[in-house]
Amino acid sequence: MAFRKIDIDALEEDAFGEDEIDFQEIGELRPLADVEAQVNSRAQEVRSLLQRGNTSGALSTSLQNPPYGAPFHAAKARNTQTVMEVLNSIKVADVPQLVKSLSPEEQDVLMKYLYAGMAAPEQNNSGHLLAWHEKLTEVAGQGCIVRVITDRRTV
Amino acid sequence: MSNTLRPYLNAVRQTLTAAMCLENFSSQVAERHNKPEVEVRASKEVLLNPVVISRNDKERVLIETSVNSLRVSIAIKQADEIERILAHKFTRFLTQRAESFVILRRKPIEGYDISFLITNAHTEQMYKHKLVDFIIQFMEEVDKEISEMKLSLNARARIVSESYLSQFN
Amino acid sequence: MSIVDFDGVSYHLATLDDNDAKLNLSIRWKCWHELVQYGAVDVLKREYSRWIIDPEHGYDFTLQFDLDNIGGDPEDVIRRVSLLKRNAMAAPFERAFDAQSLAEQEDHWDPSSSQLMTIHYRDGEAIYVQNQQDRVTVIFSTLFKEETDRVFAKVFLQEFVDARKKPHLQNAPQVIYSHREPPLEIRHVPGLLDSESQGYITFVLFPRNYAAGAVREETISRIQIFRDYLHYHIKCSKAYMHSRMRARVSDFLKVLNRAKPEIQASEKKLASGRAFRRV
Repeated sequence: MAFRKIDIDALEEDAFGEDEIDFQEIGELRPLADVEAQVNSRAQEVRSLLQRGNTSGALSTSLQNPPYGAPFHAAKARNTQTVMEVLNSIKVADVPQLVKSLSPEEQDVLMKYLYAGMAAPEQNNSGHLLAWHEKLTEVAGQGCIVRVITDRRTV
Repeated sequence: MSNTLRPYLNAVRQTLTAAMCLENFSSQVAERHNKPEVEVRASKEVLLNPVVISRNDKERVLIETSVNSLRVSIAIKQADEIERILAHKFTRFLTQRAESFVILRRKPIEGYDISFLITNAHTEQMYKHKLVDFIIQFMEEVDKEISEMKLSLNARARIVSESYLSQFN
Repeated sequence: MSIVDFDGVSYHLATLDDNDAKLNLSIRWKCWHELVQYGAVDVLKREYSRWIIDPEHGYDFTLQFDLDNIGGDPEDVIRRVSLLKRNAMAAPFERAFDAQSLAEQEDHWDPSSSQLMTIHYRDGEAIYVQNQQDRVTVIFSTLFKEETDRVFAKVFLQEFVDARKKPHLQNAPQVIYSHREPPLEIRHVPGLLDSESQGYITFVLFPRNYAAGAVREETISRIQIFRDYLHYHIKCSKAYMHSRMRARVSDFLKVLNRAKPEIQASEKKLASGRAFRRV
């Protein structure tokens, strides 16, 4: 298309834009303030659960209702960090047990966060995440990975 | 180090197997064209989420999927200057022979050392699990090859210098 | 007949037009005038006195042989003549060695007698020879055109430095390698190139390395071919890498081709039972 100066396909009415696809998948976006408040309060809740040693509770809480949608960069990063905190505080030996106790939806969300964590190797311990990934794939199967790749609701 | 290699390769293997669900798909933008959508990036709805699998901040794999094609980009471990040079030479050597490696992309994408582009045509002609095996084996051997080359270079340097200096005795 | 040697040296070998019995050998070298400055003529006179004539046009130095009367055992003459470049190059080394041993004998060190001799024997590369109180320092400045060469050379030179530390190599000259940063001895020299591809190798020669006649000659010869030696091995390493990569690539190709299903070569039979192949 190099010979055209203007990308006429972008002007095509039938063409899907990024927003429309997101809308179809995610639905109406929640207000930004709500999302951030929710993420922050969850971070605190998770931390207090962790302090009491309730790792499984912390894990499933951290995976509830993640912020979806393009505008919530900050909230997404914050929530990823919360999940990473939980993951890092769990010993590898306990992982299979915990993974089994998660619901399929939670497993999918967890897989999304694993990939999100591995995308930033400077910040996260990739070795640990790889161990999680292995255990989770054993339990949840490859469908779980497929759902991560295809789901528009990214974390 | 090597204890993270196995889960790393495993994760890549699982992800690739999951991602490699490709079908023939004609371009919706230009009529009678059929191109790897992951490269054209013209229609958003046929592109899927890219995922990164990393072992540490040097070694990582980026897998980008679309309806009819899949792009795997590998960043190879490069601990020092020599390894960097060797990795660069090696990948260049490979990409110059991309013609015979049907799935090899001639140019790696930004930030990675080597890229593979697998299209639906490839998955139709070849066994999917063997393709995955190939990429996994490639990743294993590249690391091994580079460290072996480095060792042999050092060994040679040692012998050369010793024999030169011993002439002065 | 024209012949070339390392470091941009060219020779010209020809019989005279009017006299088949006379053979001229001329040499041309970019840094000839520098060598002359450091006493190359004396060394050459010592070695070749009976054959020297005025330089041929376009060349720096010429020897003429009378084929009917070569003057000595032909084998020996040929050997000596083939060392022409080496002998010319030896001049600054001999001068430095002499100056140093003289200073040592007289037990008197005059710092001003330390002379830094520079030989720009290649484009962008030079040898520096300096006599000091108890040693002679030889510095090579090297320029690597390719990034790969540079990195390989670094590995090699690092090994040189390390190898010197081995007990059985204690007699060898000390080797110091510095990358980009010129060593102290030549830091004041103007026109040093400051770039990533520049490296300096310093050999510190002690009197034991150039004491007696044979040892001295050996040392001079060895030092001179250092650069060629280094580059030869760098090239060899690269060739080795290439052959390895080639082998590896064919391995990969085999693996990839295994991914292709075997295509059954199905033979169709005609009704008559004869096989035929569709073209």
